[in-house]
Amino acid sequence: MYRFVLFLKRIGYVFLFIVIEVIAFRYYSDSSGYNQARTLNIANNLTGNIYSAFADVRQYFYLGKENKRLTEEVAGLRAELSRYEDESRFFSDIILPESLAVYSYMTAKIINNSLNRAENFMTLNKGSRDGVKINSAVISDGAIAGYVMDCDNKFSVAISVLNTKFKTSGKLKGKNNSSGSVFWDAKHYDEMVFTEIPKYAEIAVGDTVITTEFSSRFPEGIHIGTVKSFELINGTYYEARLEIMAKMGGLNNVVLVYYNDMDEKISLEENYR
Amino acid sequence: MLRFIEYSILFLIVSFLQIFLFNHLYMGYFVNPFIYLSFIILLPIDMRDYKILLLGLFTGLVMDFFMGSPGINVMATVLVSFCRPALIRFFMVKDDIEKGGIPNVDKMGLVKFLNYSFLMVFLHAAAFFMLESMSFAGIAYTFLKIIVNTIGTVFTVYICQLLFLSKRSKV
Repeated sequence: MYRFVLFLKRIGYVFLFIVIEVIAFRYYSDSSGYNQARTLNIANNLTGNIYSAFADVRQYFYLGKENKRLTEEVAGLRAELSRYEDESRFFSDIILPESLAVYSYMTAKIINNSLNRAENFMTLNKGSRDGVKINSAVISDGAIAGYVMDCDNKFSVAISVLNTKFKTSGKLKGKNNSSGSVFWDAKHYDEMVFTEIPKYAEIAVGDTVITTEFSSRFPEGIHIGTVKSFELINGTYYEARLEIMAKMGGLNNVVLVYYNDMDEKISLEENYR
Repeated sequence: MLRFIEYSILFLIVSFLQIFLFNHLYMGYFVNPFIYLSFIILLPIDMRDYKILLLGLFTGLVMDFFMGSPGINVMATVLVSFCRPALIRFFMVKDDIEKGGIPNVDKMGLVKFLNYSFLMVFLHAAAFFMLESMSFAGIAYTFLKIIVNTIGTVFTVYICQLLFLSKRSKV
């Protein structure tokens, strides 16, 4: 009898273990990027303020560099603006009011980031009460870093480009008909894969890859990365390894870009899925 | 009672370090020690098996919640908690097990402790990284991640047991 009870105890122990593992596995296999972003956001209620404090401290060490970078960016933007000012002298009667702008822009700070998981997410210090919307693109220094997946009141969680669930389309700058898909293969935090490039594209090392007009999240023409190497697969398409242009290890101040007609576009497309 | 408080403090410290420090340590790309494992490794020897299992589940859940990883932490940590009693019985003499206490270097000797921690950590890292890379990175990268992570974690576990609990074992 005693032996039997002992046996039951052992079986119970193994059984409990198996039950826990099975439940965890169900949760694991059912998880989507959105689920993870949502969970992280709930955790942010506890840790967000602490991350924010750490990020503020970290920022002090980079103030000089950031200042220099921002000045250069402003200079570049002013130069570009002056180009349009010259042209628009002819069209000054039909300057669009702001409500018709195609994209809205916001700045935010990345207060938590990860590089070494297979699925990395970023936490932003702005949430829905600051006007952040889901599917806003996160742009750092003119290069893509991800897009917002979930917003809470005070913080948002964005999926990083360094995430196996991230996928977007890209094309070679200056060369038409060269679009393919861009994703991350978890090999290195500096490299992404740019694949399914048609074989008649003229690809070369050092080419810049930019976003296409096919993505509703990213405006066209934002840098993704530069080609490091490429090879022809099966004689049918090219696959290239890109050096990611955004400095994922040192992300701090980013720009959030939201396509203002996103809701309409998504609901229109859903009718045809 | 004192033991419960001690271990609670250990758990809080270890979780705090893991979430805010070790998750953001990027020495190289692969180094990512899981210091929270030292909580499971240093649980008392005379604790009942199922309690260790449940504590492993709790630790895994907390880590999953803060890291945003879907169930991977739970699966790896519960696996390790399940194997812990067998490992303890393998490494320690029956008399020592009956005496109870903390499995640290004083009780087991340095070599045995390192072996014990290494096996626990390796099992955890293997489960963790293999689950993580189910879709993409090649097996070589996964293996490298496992090895580097194991070395880093065993190192931190050793430091942990030095700092936190060895003064108690003299009692």
